Amino acid sequence: MSAELVFQQALNGLSFGALLFILAAGLSLVFGMMDVVNLAHGAFYMLGAYVALSVVQRTGSFWLAMVVAPLALAALGLVLEPLLLRRLRGRHLDQVLLTIGVSLVVVDQIGVVWGREVRSLAAPAGLDGSVALYGGDYPLYRLFVIGFGVALAALLSYVYSRTKVGMRIRAGVEDAEMLGALGVDTDRLFALTFAAGAALAGLAGVVAAPVFGLQPGMDLDALLYSLVVVVVGGLGTLGGAVAGSVLVGPADTFGKVVFQEFALAVIFAIVALVLLLKPTGLLGRIRIAR
Amino acid sequence: MTRALRFGLVAIAVAALITFPYWSAGWESSRFATTVLRDVLVFAIFALSLDLLIGRAGMPSLGHAAFFGAGAYAAGIASQRLGTDQLPITMGAAILVATALALIIGALVVRSEGIFFLMLTLALAQIVFAIAFQWTSVTGGSNGLSGVGRPVIGGLDLTAADRMYVLVAVVFIAVALLLSRIVGSPYGRALVGVRENERRMRALGYDTTRLRLSAFVLAGAIAGVAGALSAYSLRFVSAQDVGIATSVRGFVMVLIGGAGSLFGPVLGAAVVMYIERVLSSAIPVAETVLGLVFVAFVLLARQGIVGVGLAAWARVRR
Repeated sequence: MSAELVFQQALNGLSFGALLFILAAGLSLVFGMMDVVNLAHGAFYMLGAYVALSVVQRTGSFWLAMVVAPLALAALGLVLEPLLLRRLRGRHLDQVLLTIGVSLVVVDQIGVVWGREVRSLAAPAGLDGSVALYGGDYPLYRLFVIGFGVALAALLSYVYSRTKVGMRIRAGVEDAEMLGALGVDTDRLFALTFAAGAALAGLAGVVAAPVFGLQPGMDLDALLYSLVVVVVGGLGTLGGAVAGSVLVGPADTFGKVVFQEFALAVIFAIVALVLLLKPTGLLGRIRIAR
Repeated sequence: MTRALRFGLVAIAVAALITFPYWSAGWESSRFATTVLRDVLVFAIFALSLDLLIGRAGMPSLGHAAFFGAGAYAAGIASQRLGTDQLPITMGAAILVATALALIIGALVVRSEGIFFLMLTLALAQIVFAIAFQWTSVTGGSNGLSGVGRPVIGGLDLTAADRMYVLVAVVFIAVALLLSRIVGSPYGRALVGVRENERRMRALGYDTTRLRLSAFVLAGAIAGVAGALSAYSLRFVSAQDVGIATSVRGFVMVLIGGAGSLFGPVLGAAVVMYIERVLSSAIPVAETVLGLVFVAFVLLARQGIVGVGLAAWARVRR
């Protein structure tokens, strides 16, 4: 591999990592608070992308889509949490199973509403070109994705550590029951957390659409990678989502260059190693294996 | 009911099941019914193997399709590459590959529990799917593996639809018998013990990790058998056979029917196959219906049809 190729692939890996971070941050947030791995997370990601497609088709504005799609997903989350998950409070495994049913319905309905063909979404005007970077042209949009991911990580980290909402979230992750006993409305907090997780999935769907396009099965890819990221990085912490995505993004990208069709074997190996050597994930506190 | 009567009834039911294509031959829809029933039984085997994990050992695997698919591909590839359709060879290949894969994945996942177990089995199986999907030269990739031969046993050719059905039905009965023996055995009781209180089982001297791994591998091997039967039946292996859709389908079957019973997963397989095969030709949103039915069962009847039925029966008797 030439130095130019390595550089380009490193950027590709980082932009993929940034996307993975947006995805995994939502999954991890919901898990940290509610002890529920939301298996509809990939379906929410897919829905976000398709909502963005409709917004862009109607208004022509990608930026509006970046606002509308997460809001739409947040609204869906606000409905689903009280309607379904709350009834099974405390039965975490059943809540997870419930999200399987939700994802079946959401994905099937996406097919009904938007069809089942492969679609694409153009990068917004101004970001659809490429720039000359170290011996090659590089798509501007991917650089934007990296910047956006970093900015979002900074924003989330600020919200977590400096705001009142963030304080409650951290307290809820630590001990939701105690937080309720202290007078915080945990029903509301859980609903908002689930909505925020869904919104992040939707946001990831919008941001990823110009890079990966829209097609059936994208929900499963998103779910797989976000699960891998949280397993590798560590569940329930923002740092874990960062560490996991920064490792898995480039590893997958270089794996595809070096091993082609067996790229996912690299990911398999990473997951296996983490499970055997560090069952909490790189920066997590929750042991997912003995 | 006396033992003899019960045995007699079961024997009649078994005989009726195996000979279905022959006594139903007069029906107008006999061929279609035989095909659907064959596929129900294939998935019933799959669901039964998964229930050994979900219902008995308390290991909610969402990656069971990896072994179903491994068995299907192994049988199909063995039949094509080795140029033989001898059942012991292609089925042997299926069991071997599914068992080996279950050992590898099992070794990684048996140390986790509950949600984490579910998450890891899902992720690792999905990686297996992606590799199968992209390894086009061997698996046919997104085109799938077509032209899988129907099996022969020695000189007995099972190509005809009715014989293929009988093979599936016989294997189904054998698997059901095997599993009913297993769950009643000390080994089966020990698995339930691990589910209920692993720490106590360990204190009693059981190697619980090994128990869980053995259940995982056994279930994987049986799923491989189901996969091979699916490949023979459809003469085709699709990448979807390894994918999460198949894992979810198995999980839904077990839960709707009722986990932890022999009859439940079989009934669940029938319900799900009805929705997917019969209902889907009538309405375009069968997946949505399946999802809603599943949500309803998780919310309202977590013990499944069999559990609800038993509870109702107990109330009537009182």
